[in-house]
Amino acid sequence: MKKLIIILLLTMSIITISEAIVDLNTATLQELKTQLPITEEQADDIYNYRFYISFFQSIYQLREIESIDQETLNLLKPLVSVSHYDEKDESAQRRDDIYYLIERLGSSEGLQEGMSDIWEDYLISPRNINKLAFSDILNLPNTSPIDVAAILNRVSVGDSISNYRDLRKSPGISYYGAKNLKNYIYYKEQPEMRDLYFDYQMKYNDSPYGDNEKEMYLESMIRFDPPNDDDPDTPVIKRQSYWGYFNMESHRASMMNKLRMRYKDQFKAGFIYETPKGSTPIFDSNSRTLFEDGKFYVGYENNINLLGRNFIKVYAGNFRATFGEGLVMENTDSYSPRKTGYGFNKRITGIIGDISRTQEYALRGIALDWKRNNLNAVVFLSSDKKDAVVYDSNENGELDDDDYILGYISMTNRFSNDELEEAEAFFNDYAGNENQVKIAPRLDALQEDIIGGHFEYSPFIGTHIGFTGYEAVYDREFVVPEEEELKGILIADDYYFDKWKITDNEITSMYSTISDEYGNRDYRRVVGFDWRTVLNNTSIQGEYAELQTDGSLGKIGDDPSALLISSYTQFDNIYLLSIYRDYDLDFDNPYHRSFSESERFDDTVFEKLTYGLNNTLLNDMYNNSAQPSAERGIYFETRYQFHQMLTLTKAYLDIWERKSDARRGVRAQVKLEFKPIHQLRFRLRHKHQVKRYDDEMERGKSQADETELKLVVYLSNFNKLQLGYVYARVLQPPYLSILSDPAEPGAPDMAQAQTLSDGDMIYLDYTHHFNENLKVIGAFSMWYANGASFWDFEDIELDFDMSDRGYKAWFNIHSRIANNVYLSLKYKYKQFLTRELEFREYNEIPDEGEYYFQRVEREENIVRLQLDWKF
Amino acid sequence: MKKVFFIITLITIISGLYSYSILEKETGNIIGNLDPHSAAMGSAVGAGGFRLFDSMVNPANITGLKNGFGFQGTGGFLIDSDNRSLPMYNSFDAYCGDAVYVSNVNTFADFAGGIYYKRAISDFELAASLQYRPQISFKADYFEQVRNNKNSDDNGYPPKIAQNSIESKGGINAIAFQIAVIDTNLFSYGLEVAQLTGDSEMERSVIWTPEAQDMMNDTLNDTINTLDREFSAIQFKVGANIHFSPRFDLGLSITPKVELNVTGDKDGVDVDTAVFVYTKYDSTGIPTDSLTYAQYILPMNARIGFSYKPRNIMRTVMNCDVEYIKWSDTNPLYDDAINYYIGVEHVLNNKIPFRFGFNYTTSYGLHEDSGFVFADEITTPTFTAGTGFTFLDKFTFDISLEYSNRQYEALDLFMDSYYDHEDLWENYYYLNLQDRGWENPDIVHETFINLKSAISFTW
Repeated sequence: MKKLIIILLLTMSIITISEAIVDLNTATLQELKTQLPITEEQADDIYNYRFYISFFQSIYQLREIESIDQETLNLLKPLVSVSHYDEKDESAQRRDDIYYLIERLGSSEGLQEGMSDIWEDYLISPRNINKLAFSDILNLPNTSPIDVAAILNRVSVGDSISNYRDLRKSPGISYYGAKNLKNYIYYKEQPEMRDLYFDYQMKYNDSPYGDNEKEMYLESMIRFDPPNDDDPDTPVIKRQSYWGYFNMESHRASMMNKLRMRYKDQFKAGFIYETPKGSTPIFDSNSRTLFEDGKFYVGYENNINLLGRNFIKVYAGNFRATFGEGLVMENTDSYSPRKTGYGFNKRITGIIGDISRTQEYALRGIALDWKRNNLNAVVFLSSDKKDAVVYDSNENGELDDDDYILGYISMTNRFSNDELEEAEAFFNDYAGNENQVKIAPRLDALQEDIIGGHFEYSPFIGTHIGFTGYEAVYDREFVVPEEEELKGILIADDYYFDKWKITDNEITSMYSTISDEYGNRDYRRVVGFDWRTVLNNTSIQGEYAELQTDGSLGKIGDDPSALLISSYTQFDNIYLLSIYRDYDLDFDNPYHRSFSESERFDDTVFEKLTYGLNNTLLNDMYNNSAQPSAERGIYFETRYQFHQMLTLTKAYLDIWERKSDARRGVRAQVKLEFKPIHQLRFRLRHKHQVKRYDDEMERGKSQADETELKLVVYLSNFNKLQLGYVYARVLQPPYLSILSDPAEPGAPDMAQAQTLSDGDMIYLDYTHHFNENLKVIGAFSMWYANGASFWDFEDIELDFDMSDRGYKAWFNIHSRIANNVYLSLKYKYKQFLTRELEFREYNEIPDEGEYYFQRVEREENIVRLQLDWKF
Repeated sequence: MKKVFFIITLITIISGLYSYSILEKETGNIIGNLDPHSAAMGSAVGAGGFRLFDSMVNPANITGLKNGFGFQGTGGFLIDSDNRSLPMYNSFDAYCGDAVYVSNVNTFADFAGGIYYKRAISDFELAASLQYRPQISFKADYFEQVRNNKNSDDNGYPPKIAQNSIESKGGINAIAFQIAVIDTNLFSYGLEVAQLTGDSEMERSVIWTPEAQDMMNDTLNDTINTLDREFSAIQFKVGANIHFSPRFDLGLSITPKVELNVTGDKDGVDVDTAVFVYTKYDSTGIPTDSLTYAQYILPMNARIGFSYKPRNIMRTVMNCDVEYIKWSDTNPLYDDAINYYIGVEHVLNNKIPFRFGFNYTTSYGLHEDSGFVFADEITTPTFTAGTGFTFLDKFTFDISLEYSNRQYEALDLFMDSYYDHEDLWENYYYLNLQDRGWENPDIVHETFINLKSAISFTW
């Protein structure tokens, strides 16, 4: 009995002790205050730590609380416990794990144009690698067709990939292919995930207009004094240009609001409303402008068992359609030179919902994508209004609905038609301005109705042949007049007609719906076929397309055409990419986005003759051109790891001929990385470019070389220091004015001359992680371009406007406010050195009595704010 | 026995940096926020609040302070850099940029102080405060030299012929009484009644130099224009906070429009009849309606904001506000505007808070051009940062830095034709001293650096 009492007492005391143990992760504030020998303030601090900072992983975490000293901790040790407790759901945990990848995708958003959203969805909700189709895997970043074929060859014979190590063992897959796939896929069991996801993003950006755009807006629209004319002088008033008329100095910043929703991987919806710089903010918009200028989509994707397994995608609203190599259809406003379709230059093929910033080439309607076994069929319908350049074809002095259209245009600033008309009226009326506006962009001037589709058959893994086509029907006529008439419309004064060069063939060869060759029509029709085959470690693919003019639809070679063939061979440590392209000058397909060295209208009057154009806004035909230039050329690219310490990161060589003037060019770039130890890297980049290399007698020959040496030091805690130096050298023909005798300027009377410009830049940037949720990047760079110009890849954007001499400093605070809220705040200050001397030398020394101004300053203050909320 | 906490948050010697600009010499600068803690967070303090002066934005914010008495002291410093440039044209007569012709850098300071008391009474808590603070500032300075064209061929300094200046002083201060209650731990309500009183003196002058007088045989008369005004009004503000959870608060505040009583004179003419700007003209260009210097209206504004306190490895608060300002109350030509505020505070591992934020505000300039009156929208983005620490247990020190820049068009403040006297210039026949109108306006580029600091004492 005594023993029993003792046992009972012991049991009770154990129960009492165990009841007295306070679980730091579940105890209420009252329990902390009453059951522990601590002060109320200490209890509050413990509670607040758990509530606002972190659940406890260990009781030693108590020492992170200021009011808990070692003595208190020793006192609490036997009285408290820590249970496993975390409020994060699986999605949040996954977001934690891949935060760095999401951040990297976000930073390249500008380059990827909406694709990062798709990839982020894959990161958050990985897909079963054993059930993905060829195009699904290929659409993921950095995967090659050979990697995809390697995976599917395994899966097709009933094998299944069970983990990453297993994936790596797939015969033919590359190390990088497998590594890049790792975070986008799962193998056997789908991770537990939520079903419903929302992403909201807000971006504020008050970056100034780019150099080219600003020059376009600054140029005078009121002109009286063509050279050698006795007419009155051009009035020196600020409102003589669009810049002055619209007071563009004070234009408000751009703002973007984007909301995406996803239910499982089946239902998707999105909305974006972007107010570009100078536009009406969202709060001042009405429902009509929200609908017309905003973009939205709803989509459904699912496997449906109907006489077998079918995969269906249906999108209504705005959608992206991309097929093959982008010769027939890839609808984006952004142009990217040398877009190979590989590595970081991927294009996502098929149909996806589109809430990118693309406006002009956005498709709006409905799209259906059906996949079954080795068949894939896509049909899409779009009906949307497009901005276009309208000219006074009936010469009634007005730009109205009766006039012809010259072409599509993506306007830097989408002034309303009323605003444009008022400005034009002001310019026209100004004391009988001689430069009456005959041609101008107009918003939503063109109704474009598109029906298109793609059919693809894949006889075996890695091989397919596809057919793509679309027909766009217009409510107005595209007419490009004959050269002499066109010059009279585009160019302000016949004095400048001499500036029209052979390269301007690119303008005269634009598509017309009314033509002497093939009669009148109200449509544009483009058809093509594409193919791919994977042979061992080589993939060969290509696309051929024709714009139907006077030929027949089924016959190859009788219409303006475009061809691209590429091959890609990969080994573990090396790959070789070769691309041949040949685009006819007349192949004017507004949705053509394939590989090219330069964009359409490069070197034409739209680029070079701002001061002589009838309407300076035509500059945007080049500034925002998204179509490739007509070229024929061959491109090679490789990467090779010589040794663990030495890697040829990327090397390419492009040799091409521009179709408009048969000018040939060569561009080559080599990037080397030397890594003596993991934390220290030396990077060397050299670029060499020659234009008109084939003709030493040609005045237009130019040569540019650029060398960059960069030191990257990886410090502890993922901190990073980069220091770089860039040297650029440009050899080009001189302007005639500098061939003049200084005593008698004007006449080119010197026997020889050559212009060599060289400039350099240094930069330094440092990334500091205060902790895993707070990072600050700071950078400084200084350049002396001296005729050349530099560009700089900042953390989340490219800065191209680094001409003259100047310096800039910026910092960016990346803060993870909460598990699902991210904030990035960037401030940049850029100062170009005073340009007084340059202006005065160029614009003649002021006469006696004129004013001198000591400071002609140009500085930029830029704030960029981005808020992401994922819930 | 109920514990009673006395918190004294005291004297705030404010050295704040506000938009003290020549642009607002007549209309004044409305001071939106005086607390460096929230100023460092972009002045986003519509919900919650951290310090006494956050109740300027929302009177219900004082309920967020600890129970007891408190007082606070604050000080600050503002630098306003004003670069004024005129359009420049290239040899093709195309506008190609702007050349700076006058630069001004001015500094200003302000002071404020407040005291409050808060205690629990039965099921609710009651808080009250009394503040003395600047509400509107008229401080602005502008100096400009006028030199002629002599000696320029010899690389020498051309002689100064006149000194132009605009000096504006004064401000409207508020003695504000606030009262707020917390009801059921979910809602808190606040009311502010403020007695606004103040004055402003502005002098615009052109003083000819002795050298100019010599050249003109002492025939030149200096010009001095003055504007002296006294202001008074009672202003009300109401606010509420909704404490949805310990993580999320929502705040609302509304300040009705206030029309101030104004007395004074403009160049000896009563402000009731002195025209500030004509707002309407008939078809022949004759003015039919105008604003006088006696009409001084503070627009209605409404603000909604939230405060979010997530779980983060560093203690974190994020605040966001959207403010609606009914500018059309002050002038029918103004559009109503929406301002945005966002701010974050992270407490780093070493207990030092790192605060940063951003705000984007919109105001207006009113211009008249040959019978056509128009309003120019001026936007001001501001980047903010700051920190703070506690010392001697009861004291808290906060400091903030706000950096703003803005650009706007304006007419030449001292028109050229005024100096059109043949004997003042060399080679007069080359010159064409005409007034520059809106066809060639000035571009004014301003930057503001505002340093605010505060010491609070908690007892």
